[in-house]
Amino acid sequence: MSGLAHYLEDEGLATVIVALVREHIVGMRPPRALWVPFELGRPFGPPGNTGLQRRVLSEALALLDQDCPEPLLRDFSEAVIDPGDDAGWRFPGTLDSDSLRAEVAGVSPVWQLARERIGRSSVGISGLAPESVAEFIERYHSPQPMPNPKGMARVSRARFAVDDIKAFYLEAAMAAGGHPSPRQLHDWFWGQTHAGALILEFQEMARVSEDGNLQLIAGSLVPAERTISFLRG
Amino acid sequence: MVRLVDVPEPERSVIADLACPAYDDTPAVKPPPPGLRHVAIVSTAGFIVRGERPMLSNETGYRAIAADIGDGDILCSHVSTNFDRTGFQQDLNVMLPRDRLVELEREGCIGRAADTHYAFMGATSPPKLEDKARELGRSMLALGVNTVVLAPV
Repeated sequence: MSGLAHYLEDEGLATVIVALVREHIVGMRPPRALWVPFELGRPFGPPGNTGLQRRVLSEALALLDQDCPEPLLRDFSEAVIDPGDDAGWRFPGTLDSDSLRAEVAGVSPVWQLARERIGRSSVGISGLAPESVAEFIERYHSPQPMPNPKGMARVSRARFAVDDIKAFYLEAAMAAGGHPSPRQLHDWFWGQTHAGALILEFQEMARVSEDGNLQLIAGSLVPAERTISFLRG
Repeated sequence: MVRLVDVPEPERSVIADLACPAYDDTPAVKPPPPGLRHVAIVSTAGFIVRGERPMLSNETGYRAIAADIGDGDILCSHVSTNFDRTGFQQDLNVMLPRDRLVELEREGCIGRAADTHYAFMGATSPPKLEDKARELGRSMLALGVNTVVLAPV
């Protein structure tokens, strides 16, 4: 991010960074940066808080009005309080615990509700149908794997299928609104669903695989602090 | 979780130990006055438009996201699993505040919100992005863009 600022300024564009990792800004000295105290992945704050998004963007742009010869790093002016977990949140549906396929079938109508409520979905990066992405991973090493459509290597398709599984479940989890924290949602997904267990197992298999390409994607499947190898120490 | 010290291990050490290239100087363009600012957002979230090939790890190119691309057709192909995506899943503006930028234009706080915003793969080392970043800079200048908000994930 800071490198981009250097290159774009050098080409003649004025830049300002909204920064999540202060230490990187200090080290790379871009011309202007506003450090924000939000969680990684949320540079403009929590979802739905349009006022806060506006204030972050406005404060960042205001740095362009500062006449400062040295690199300018400011902290966002507002104290942000982490609201923590939503004690009332529950998965807004019934999860069939018999099998992965039954679970996916149960999640699907809840995901449809979420898509209607949110007005969009981020599922689809693998190019597979939402209801079949888990099966793609489940059968990846079976004697009868699912066919891989043209246009993407099978191992890349697997990586993005995992992204789609997570998005499918986590979007469904937000179908009824509320304010579950990211940690709360991930505790549920990784700890209570067949899909989470499937991905953990797939990640372990990829990590120790003799297939170099599969090994390469192993680090892009599960948050580092939730991998089996990390938790086992 | 709001500061690096609050990021769980092992990700905290990965972030803290990332090699940051050193730059000899800090080029700083004199910014245009607010009313003349034509502002684009450049994200490092690895955004693609639905149907495009997802970005891969260490990819050096960038993707364009035109104003007429609906929120539901903007997908995140970033390689890292270690940042929250549930905010993005609920509200694109958490990562790409293009609606807020249009509001600032309507209120006269900036001259114009760009018609197109852009995304790189943030996990790629900065020096590898240099050629494409410079190419994008020249392209934006040709479109009249003179100001960039850089948005991380």
